Amino acid sequence: MSTILTYIAISDGKLKRSSLEVLSHCKSLADASGASCEAVVIDANASSFIEGIQKYGASKVHVVEDPIFKNHMNTPLLKALANVMNSVNPSVFAFASTEGTKDVLGALAANQNAAVIADVASFELIDGGVKAKRPVMAAKIMNNTEAKSDKVLVSVRSGSYDLNESPESAEIVNIDFSMDDSEMKSTLREIISASGDTIDLNEAEAIVAAGRGVKDEDGKALISELASVLKAGIGASRALTESGVYDPSLQIGQTGKVVSPQLYIAVGISGAIQHVAGMANSKVIVAINKDPDAPIFEVADYGIVGDLYKVLPPFIEEIKKIKS
Amino acid sequence: MKFYICIKMVPDVYAPLQIKEGELIMDADRMVLNAYDASAVEEALVLKEKHGGEVEVVCIGPAKASETIRKALAMGADKATHILASGAEEYDSASYAKILSAFFKDKEYDVIGLGKQSQDTDSGLTGSMVAEHLSLPYTTNAVGLEVENGNLVVKRQGDSGQEMIELPTPCAVTCSNDMNDPRIPNLKGIMASKRKPIDQVEISSLGIDEAELKADTKVTSYEEKPARQAGKKYEGEAEEVAREVAQLLDTEANVL
Repeated sequence: MSTILTYIAISDGKLKRSSLEVLSHCKSLADASGASCEAVVIDANASSFIEGIQKYGASKVHVVEDPIFKNHMNTPLLKALANVMNSVNPSVFAFASTEGTKDVLGALAANQNAAVIADVASFELIDGGVKAKRPVMAAKIMNNTEAKSDKVLVSVRSGSYDLNESPESAEIVNIDFSMDDSEMKSTLREIISASGDTIDLNEAEAIVAAGRGVKDEDGKALISELASVLKAGIGASRALTESGVYDPSLQIGQTGKVVSPQLYIAVGISGAIQHVAGMANSKVIVAINKDPDAPIFEVADYGIVGDLYKVLPPFIEEIKKIKS
Repeated sequence: MKFYICIKMVPDVYAPLQIKEGELIMDADRMVLNAYDASAVEEALVLKEKHGGEVEVVCIGPAKASETIRKALAMGADKATHILASGAEEYDSASYAKILSAFFKDKEYDVIGLGKQSQDTDSGLTGSMVAEHLSLPYTTNAVGLEVENGNLVVKRQGDSGQEMIELPTPCAVTCSNDMNDPRIPNLKGIMASKRKPIDQVEISSLGIDEAELKADTKVTSYEEKPARQAGKKYEGEAEEVAREVAQLLDTEANVL
């Protein structure tokens, strides 16, 4: 029986929702094809996440637990993933397309001589492999890509699939791991965390994104207030992360993060194609911009033409009222 | 330090495009230097200016890619290798990685730099594939590079923060376009680029079997994205429209 394996990413001590979305999809593919749906978790506290993973239908959870996985480093992660592939021999190995995944996916494919399709919007099984849809050309169009191989790696954009619980009492398989200091190819000197306890944009249900129209501290304060009322993550266009107004980790777009929350509010963002490439799959898009011809209105479900400094205060007040 | 920067000629994503019966139709003349690769070239030039060394660009592509190579030379790269590939459109990331790895096998270098992805396909696989084939320490998605005590210190944009990673040389690094604004070649640079050497290499001379380059992945067709309907634009008195849209988000869109 063939195996569809899903990598469950852990970030900041939490299960990445995007990897559970992928697991939900893999479970339905496995059920339809008679394959075995399995998951792997690699972390310093990997076993503490087993319960959360079982909810989404993996029949086996492979566990690699070692203190070395406290922080992301590609050398140990790559070694662990290769060990897992050697031991599980999956026909399909699926990942959520996080920065952690992007750091090792190509190397793992080369190491395992596997075919690989990165950053897909959807994928299905076909005879002898996988077919997938990928946004290309700055996400203006999609291509259909096929990978024919007995081993296919695929990474999936966050928000591509819905979470779907189907509890299973999984068999737990511990996979041995050890790594010599001499095997470490690079040194992690330090991690510069994004300021404050920001909400991970890939996981956020709602995002308030600021663009060039947000000109000063007052504007930033309005963005923060709206985000706080909505319990939303804060994102920014490239213009604002480049000029240092917002942290680079908050950049949304082709270069930064690709997000698809339930609600995306673009404030003072004109909507250059690189930005739209990163947010066009959001469920509901609201745009606030004083230029009625701004391209962002072409993708917005609700467009408010107006000065954000005048629009946001009553907008926030009204949402507060609705929420209370 | 000796830098090799891998560059690619890609379609201009701003150029108009259309899809006819599943095929992508674009102006074949609108080809550019991949923006992420341009950032890698820029960063190598800055480090060379600070610490000395040499910047060589490597490009796999058809004869026309020489224009892309000239652009990198005009920015200031010292020399170039053009790996001639007429069948490049059939290659996938793995094929490119195998060709590059074969090229680098007998080369001496400190850093192999690449763009973190191609701006047309956004796969982002080739860099770490090359590193794996050559067993090099590497990191991806660099937003800053420094040289310290002969090591490369990379600031990498990770999932929730930035990681400072120290790589011994030789190593590989893939670059984000967030690290710099690539210089626009000036007239002097353009004139100088015409005298800089471009070494042309055939794939067959690299000792790889053509069969090994056969792509495991294949683009079978293109299609339009499911169109996103532009919604309604609300214009008028700010207070009024703001409250109206907030209400609609609750009652109509059901997202509050």
